[in-house]
Amino acid sequence: MTTLDTERAEVPSSPTAGPWRTAWRDLRRNKVAMGSLVVLIIIVLACIAAPLYESSIAHTDAFTSNVAGTITINGQTVPVLEPSTEGLGLGVNPIAPTWTAQYFLGSDNQGRDVASRILYGGRNTLIIGFASAILCCVLAGIIGIVSGFFGRGVDAVLSRGLDVLWAFPVYLLAICLSVVLISSSLTIGPVTLSSASILLPIVIIGIVYVPYVARPIRGQVMSLREREFVQAAVGAGAPDMRLLRREILPNVLPTIIVFLPLMAAINMLTEAALSFLSIGVQPPDSSWGTIVNDGVGLLYTRPWVAIAPGILLAITAVTLNLLGDGVRDALDPKARLRGAA
Amino acid sequence: MWRFAGKRALAALLVLFAISVLVFLIFFATPGIDPAARIAGRNASQETLTQVRASFGFDRPIWVQYGLMMQHLFINRDLTSFVNRGSQVIPQVMQAIPVTLSLVFGAALIWVVLALIMGVAATAARGTVIDPLILVIGVIGVSLPVFWLGEVVNLVTQSRLHDTVFAWVPQLGYVPLTDGVGPWALHLLFPWLTLAVLYAGIYARVLRSEMVASMNEDYVRMARAKGIGETRVLIRHSLRTSMISIVSLFGLDFGALIGGAALLTEVVFGLQGVGKLTYDSLQNFDLPVILACVLYASFFVVLANFIVDLLYAWLDPRVRHV
Amino acid sequence: MRLHRIATVGVSLLAVGALAACSSGSSPSPSGSSGAAASSASAVPSGSASVGNDSDVRPYDPAHAGGTLTLLAKGAAGTLDPKVNYTLQFWQLYQGTYDGLTAFKHVDGEGSFTVVPDLAESIPDTTNGGKTYVFKLRQGIKFSDGADLTTDDVVSSFQRIFKVSSPTAGSFYNGIVGADACIKAPETCTLEGGVVGDKTAGTVTINLTAPDPEFLYKLSVPHAAINPKSAPTKDAGNTPIPTTGAYMFKSYDPNTALVMVRNPNFKEWSRAAQPAGYPDEIDYKFGLTVEAEVTAVENNQANWLYDPPPADRLAEIGSKYASQVHVNQLTAFWYLPLNVNLAPFDNLKARQAVNWAIDRNAIVKLYGGANLAQPVCTILPPGFPGYEANCQYTNPAGDTWQGADLEKAKQLVTESGTAGQEVTVIVADDEVNKAVGEYVQSVLNQIGYKAKVKAISGNIQFTYIQNSNNKVQISVTQWYQDYPAASDFLNVLLGCASFTPGSDSSINMSGFCDKKIQAQMDDALKTEQTSFDEANKKWAAVDKAMMEQSPMVPVMTPKLIDFISKDTGNYQFSKQFYMLVDQLWVK
Repeated sequence: MTTLDTERAEVPSSPTAGPWRTAWRDLRRNKVAMGSLVVLIIIVLACIAAPLYESSIAHTDAFTSNVAGTITINGQTVPVLEPSTEGLGLGVNPIAPTWTAQYFLGSDNQGRDVASRILYGGRNTLIIGFASAILCCVLAGIIGIVSGFFGRGVDAVLSRGLDVLWAFPVYLLAICLSVVLISSSLTIGPVTLSSASILLPIVIIGIVYVPYVARPIRGQVMSLREREFVQAAVGAGAPDMRLLRREILPNVLPTIIVFLPLMAAINMLTEAALSFLSIGVQPPDSSWGTIVNDGVGLLYTRPWVAIAPGILLAITAVTLNLLGDGVRDALDPKARLRGAA
Repeated sequence: MWRFAGKRALAALLVLFAISVLVFLIFFATPGIDPAARIAGRNASQETLTQVRASFGFDRPIWVQYGLMMQHLFINRDLTSFVNRGSQVIPQVMQAIPVTLSLVFGAALIWVVLALIMGVAATAARGTVIDPLILVIGVIGVSLPVFWLGEVVNLVTQSRLHDTVFAWVPQLGYVPLTDGVGPWALHLLFPWLTLAVLYAGIYARVLRSEMVASMNEDYVRMARAKGIGETRVLIRHSLRTSMISIVSLFGLDFGALIGGAALLTEVVFGLQGVGKLTYDSLQNFDLPVILACVLYASFFVVLANFIVDLLYAWLDPRVRHV
Repeated sequence: MRLHRIATVGVSLLAVGALAACSSGSSPSPSGSSGAAASSASAVPSGSASVGNDSDVRPYDPAHAGGTLTLLAKGAAGTLDPKVNYTLQFWQLYQGTYDGLTAFKHVDGEGSFTVVPDLAESIPDTTNGGKTYVFKLRQGIKFSDGADLTTDDVVSSFQRIFKVSSPTAGSFYNGIVGADACIKAPETCTLEGGVVGDKTAGTVTINLTAPDPEFLYKLSVPHAAINPKSAPTKDAGNTPIPTTGAYMFKSYDPNTALVMVRNPNFKEWSRAAQPAGYPDEIDYKFGLTVEAEVTAVENNQANWLYDPPPADRLAEIGSKYASQVHVNQLTAFWYLPLNVNLAPFDNLKARQAVNWAIDRNAIVKLYGGANLAQPVCTILPPGFPGYEANCQYTNPAGDTWQGADLEKAKQLVTESGTAGQEVTVIVADDEVNKAVGEYVQSVLNQIGYKAKVKAISGNIQFTYIQNSNNKVQISVTQWYQDYPAASDFLNVLLGCASFTPGSDSSINMSGFCDKKIQAQMDDALKTEQTSFDEANKKWAAVDKAMMEQSPMVPVMTPKLIDFISKDTGNYQFSKQFYMLVDQLWVK
């Protein structure tokens, strides 16, 4: 009996699953992470389906200004931008959320359907947010690891470079760049960027936040470098590349994974600031950030214009972070050992 | 130690030099930036334009202008603004510094305390529903656009509920510490909270993640094996080494904020700090003020990173200094 | 609506290079003058200003004297030197501080355009064929630093106009004898033979090279204010210059506040020209956002804000605070200059298409509604001398603008062969200008172009769109005027002399120069010397001819909103310098 038990205890539960399959299996078991993934997928699909919404459900144009337009609610024809009639009759207010198919969330100050614009805008925001976050984390990972691991001269040069980058006045660059790009386009090698190209904000935001991710990673690597298992590998004569790949990187990866969705959230907002300065998403295109910018000007009368994209930004950021946590936990073998979540 | 400091000081000068050159180049590479026409006045005659250009030295080559500006800024210390003729730049910056420092120190205190509480609580409660809940609250804070949040705070405290719930909220603006700690703090209360909300979530997230990872480390298991209670394990053993990432982030954020990165918060709440000064000078294309503000900010970024590097060794004794 | 800095325009009937006022976007810009809105009246007085009766001057009521007036603005307006500053924001303050030989009457309504004697005892008749003025200086007036006002100060003040390179030196005051030498060599300016002081007789004689019916107006603007002879010979910047008026400047920090206090040496000599003020102190605070300013005035924490209220507060202040709101018509207009030297608007049909396509009512809505602006179809605003109702781009047809015609516009674009070309609209980055820009972009897309809109800082947008090197095809800008003379709109905005290629100072943004129309304008200018009515008819014809060529798209005339707190009283609006600041009651 005992022998059988011991035998059973020693035999693995299935033909040995590799680390990736184990991780995926763990992730699937994580209800919170799966729930978040589902929500994210819904948001992405909704944004992809923006033209469908615009033409079949809302029947409103998300891009053409409709300042003089009218819509029919409950049989009554109302102007989309309604002049105020109280008191001195000053000011013109966009129509409030109708909570019906047309102008679900109301109109912005150009008479356009906010709900449609949010769906279209989501595409730009998600692409720019994700792409710049990935760019940032990859670059920061490389720089942080190299800088922390090799130390001395390499670290000195890279760290000072990061200092210049972090202290650099990005606003000034953005303002001046937008003026330069009014009439000309930027040509770097084979790539021509006009001011409306979304590559521009992706690259700018991706690079600007590199120090923010690189420095913590560098600090971690400096600490890891002195750890016993690394010292042991050094003692065994392992070359640098192997050390980096097998000892350092896996231990730094969880940190990077935590930063990725965090940076995505921050980047989605930074994109709004850049669009405000005329770099990146240009009118009549929208992004969640530009709709928030428009909404701040309508805060006292039509707060929903700023709240709705804000809610979506928050939901996307939260689900990304929850998913990120799930991925990180799934990839961390030690977490399973302890049996902790 | 001193050699280390000396090398870093030299490197810092290099960084400042590089930034000043970059600012200059960007400014002059932009078309339409020529301040002469704006200073001379609308529809000024071509002769007036030439005279103004000469009086400001715009007709000299760019490196001469750079040299002169640096000389006025650092040696003579009488650099004047392009927009407000005769207005000295350095006093403007000096006047703005206490405002920014007040804002940033208060907000930093609040967000660090909040982040510690949230991070430790999330780690202690991991596996339960409280952990993701804290994360959600934190991340929502990070996703809020600063300008929007500030305007909403003003909408509620100054306008809509000003006569009832928030009648105690003073007018927007800054009151110096010399006028009393009470008024000073009261005026800064909402700016502090607004700024803190944005950062607390990030720090809580990173802290929780580091602490959870450290929970599986050998030294923590060792501590547990010795019979040390979970709370003590959390706070004395796990927290300290998890602080490295936090300290890195804090150095970057604090350095940047002192230098004026909180500009939107300052604008929304009417605080005339370095951030607002930078923002206004960017809008006005006032190169001397831009240069002074950027150099001031860069100095603090470099200083903050230097201090952080020193702190690594204290936090994690295994880290050897380069 | 003017946002921060506005340039004023002065018109010299003889010098074709008249200055123009234009207002730029929201961000504070250092130059600009005040625009005065003047609706106007008939002939500009030649030689003698009508003093008329002073029944519109409100008597002083000591019961309301005292207290501190708090004014708010987003930003300061540049230099405090009255000879250099060219913004409405500070010209509004100079009324209660600086005096010239003559002044505009400090009253509410029509009379505000009348010129009355100020530091001069009376307005003299001109002699020497209208070229010589002899002013007798009032006795007993002191500067705020205690020094006596003498004829030496007057002479040096006129020299100072040139020494500090005042923006209007070459346009308003170039008719003074000796001005040519001063413009060429400002440091050694003596104006010999031009401005001559006689200390014993207490008179100042001004000699012009040719008669100038506008000259009294030019003497009444702050650039001609009398400063002490000890005033610096360059731009005084933030250092206040001693004043003669009811108030003096105590301190000026462009980042925080400007403080004015009563002039201790002031004794009222003419209520019409320089009335004693009510508040003991005026604090002009800078730095709040415009939303915060509106809230502060609503909460009675400040008396007035300079900046126009944001769009989402208009309904609130127009209803809940209606009794504290004053709306006044301005003589100004918003327009879209079309660059006639660049594709696609070098094509007449393309330009006319834009005039057909723009729905002026839509832009009125974006500005704040029909109670705040009116659509226009001509370059001269309605009610202005030389204005004749006619509209060439309206559907249904009529004398005033009724509606746009998108179909016609699309057709014209196709006919012109410019369809599909790329067009960029350049606007200032404040809320209203951006909204108008987005709308214009949308319309251009609808009629067949590939349009983009670019918002740049209000501080540089105005100079940016003037410089032909920047290849601006179309933009959105405003124009304010301060003298009721048609030439100020037509000749300045679209005259050949106002176009200097490659310069930041080239008000004729369209780059329009039509020899035939220019000849018509020169003729109208000449006719002004004999009969304003005849001249105005000619100006109307010029306006019509220009609109046929469609070098710009006139959009609307705006109104000005003054929002004061509930404890503020005695609001008066001068058409020249807008709200009379120091006449407000705070008690």
